[in-house]
Amino acid sequence: MNTRRRVAITGVGLVTPVGNDAPTTWANLLAGRSGISRIRGFDASGFPARIGGEVKGFDGPSEELDRKLLKFTLPSHRFALAAAEEALRDAGIRPEPATSRRWGLSVGAGMMCTTFEEVKTVHAHCGRQGEFDANGLVDGAFPADPVAFCRSQANTGLAVLTRQFGIQGYATSVHTACASGGQAVGTALKVMRRGQADFVLAGGYDSMLNPIGLSAFCLLGALSTDNDAPERASRPFDATRNGMVLAEGAGFMVLEDWEAARRRGASIYAELAGDGNSLSSYRITDSHPSGDGPIQSMRQALADAGLTPEEVDYVNAHGTSTLMNDRSECAALRGVLGDHITRVAVSSTKSCMGHLIAAAGAVEAVVCALAIRDGMAPVNANHGRPDPECAINLVREKSKPMDIRAALSNSLGFGGSNSTLAFRRPQGVP
Amino acid sequence: MKTSRRVVITGSGAVCGTGLSPETIWEAVRAGRSAIQKTRAWNSNGWAARMAAEVTDVDNRTLVEDRKLHKSVLRTDLFGLYAAGMAIQRSGISAYRETLPAEAVASFNDRSGILAGSGGGNYRNNYDFFPLLSETGDDLQRFGRELDGMVNPMWLLKILPNNVVCHVGIRHGFKGTNACITNQGVGGIMAVAEAAAAITAHEADRAVAVGHDTPFEPETLFHYHRLGLMSPDTVRPFDQDRSGTVFGEGAAAVMLEVLEDAQARGATILGEWLGTGCVTEAGGVVEIRPDGDGLSRAIEIALAAAGLGPERVGMVVAHGNGTAASDASEVRALRRVFGNDIPPVTAFKWSVGHLIAGSGVLDLVLALAALRERIVPGIATLHSLDLELAPFPASPSSQPLRHNSALVLCRGFGGMNTALVVRGPDFSSSP
Repeated sequence: MNTRRRVAITGVGLVTPVGNDAPTTWANLLAGRSGISRIRGFDASGFPARIGGEVKGFDGPSEELDRKLLKFTLPSHRFALAAAEEALRDAGIRPEPATSRRWGLSVGAGMMCTTFEEVKTVHAHCGRQGEFDANGLVDGAFPADPVAFCRSQANTGLAVLTRQFGIQGYATSVHTACASGGQAVGTALKVMRRGQADFVLAGGYDSMLNPIGLSAFCLLGALSTDNDAPERASRPFDATRNGMVLAEGAGFMVLEDWEAARRRGASIYAELAGDGNSLSSYRITDSHPSGDGPIQSMRQALADAGLTPEEVDYVNAHGTSTLMNDRSECAALRGVLGDHITRVAVSSTKSCMGHLIAAAGAVEAVVCALAIRDGMAPVNANHGRPDPECAINLVREKSKPMDIRAALSNSLGFGGSNSTLAFRRPQGVP
Repeated sequence: MKTSRRVVITGSGAVCGTGLSPETIWEAVRAGRSAIQKTRAWNSNGWAARMAAEVTDVDNRTLVEDRKLHKSVLRTDLFGLYAAGMAIQRSGISAYRETLPAEAVASFNDRSGILAGSGGGNYRNNYDFFPLLSETGDDLQRFGRELDGMVNPMWLLKILPNNVVCHVGIRHGFKGTNACITNQGVGGIMAVAEAAAAITAHEADRAVAVGHDTPFEPETLFHYHRLGLMSPDTVRPFDQDRSGTVFGEGAAAVMLEVLEDAQARGATILGEWLGTGCVTEAGGVVEIRPDGDGLSRAIEIALAAAGLGPERVGMVVAHGNGTAASDASEVRALRRVFGNDIPPVTAFKWSVGHLIAGSGVLDLVLALAALRERIVPGIATLHSLDLELAPFPASPSSQPLRHNSALVLCRGFGGMNTALVVRGPDFSSSP
């Protein structure tokens, strides 16, 4: 298998709670600045959790994009368009008529397909009494909006992205809850290796920061209710952590053949070197205390990349700031890294951004690429009191300059899907 | 590029309006029987399009034994769990696992994958918030305050698109590579493609692939009808009087593994996966290119991957959804690849309805049955072929199979086109 194709990351783009492009987001992550604040997009004052990682001051994708197409987008699709455009511009290559069929798309898409306003419209016509009455749709008064329908399809994001950028090859849209973005990038790697595409635009996008999405997480009791200290609410691996913070955004990267990227003189962030993908098959939300599940995905990613634990210098943890995830993930890290656990720098950038759900894995993959390029491990913010059950070498207080030969990114989802991506420094590529 | 690992199908499972197993669904196709009728789900007297191929008179316990799951997952997930469980059980893989020494079981499970194609756009999930909306009106602060107690606390977990992946894993112990593909109509067939690719690339040694969906709900039907996609009566693929499609519901699944493994444990082989093509036309959500370009490219990619010339294709299972634009462009795509020598064509949506994310895998399961019996079943609702599409080898009566292989076509929103090539179970004859 050593003739296997190598895959280069040559462009990145981000829209996150700490910045509407990759450079701004990265600078704020390195500075440990929080993007968590009181929710302003709607009146969340009655909810148990009223804070979130909203994208701020976002004017929509840039002027070059097809304005007509924007009608067909949800907010998360607009984040995706902007992040994808940034990644393509950054890579300095994009689909052309001659190459469009060799371009693929692989996205982790959020699960919410309708806006709250649309739900309210249907409620007003079909559900005033509390029960849905189908015949409210056909009494003539219901405002049939084909555009709203198109906006609400499971693969609308895929449709909008492929159309906007003229991607005509392999295209897939996946959703395994919080593992979605990682799995989308992992799928992209496989598609490249199989030769189904020579370029892949890979990423994830999500926004559940609306009354129904926030409700869903509040009902589960998964969110931190530190409403008076939003910037400190997400504190992965801290002994006082009390839940995750819901956030939104998108992350994209351009993947291309290593040799082809070299030939055209592209600047390469990192090699996307390996993918690990496992299922915990334990319980729907609980993770196994032993780390079973993530252990397999991390081992697979290392083996797939041809890496040993000795070569790993940085792990971008899933680190959701919930007791169960953080402890189980630390058990998994110990299981995989062994004695290297004391040396490998670990941080969860969710401490600054919150949890971007289906976008998280893709955004954090971009973070790993930036960490390798700049030789900087971003800080795990808000870490005050260590949890003895989480004895890992956390990047505390400030970001740490260090050579990163290889990095891992974990994304572990509701439903038990685990994704680990492995990245290698370009100089280290054999 | 042909890899040395060959991937075979050793089990299948299915549920839809015409039956609870691949055999009963196949028998209905052979008998010209369709599950399409007026919906019984609600009083639809005011609806111009109200036909559906629903799964009726089936108790949830028939689908999934565990009563706890009946409330904690959606109906579409019960279908998916049922079909995947049947494919796994019939493959004999679980029984084989029991013969392994305890220390081998963990790695066996780690090398067993689950790939699902799951339907999306379930509007009805939102209706769980209607009582709360009625109570609180436009007062969002009250909405937030009174949420607790008004909505199922496990709501989010119930509507997770990846519930089938999760629960197949818990029930059957598979812990390997996994994905839930939410790519509308092609999700299920892409799950098969990804499962096969994972096995050829040594990412897994075996995997179950399942497609499941319940697209038939009032809001979806309403919008599809407004877009001119729904038939007022039935699905007539390639017919001059075709009037649109009709939703079905259900699921289908296949168990895939390495040929040598299947032979070594004496498993029954239903067919061999040979190749897949998957492309988008990049036209937008509902647009379809009239020239069939996306689909013809998908077919060419699949045939090249299979190492099969067009002249060696035994039959085509068309998408054949009965809409004017899709059927016409599908014929053009086939003509681009096969010229005037298109193999015998059939399609199944006239019998089972359009299962959207479940459609491609159900078509594959029926294609395997057709290959086993070496017959291309007729399209019972095809009375007069659309002359603009002629000549085209689709027929109301059955046709002989040309070679031991089938090309299964599947299309979806987002300009998605997929083609999958399988060889029949008769390994003594080349495809």
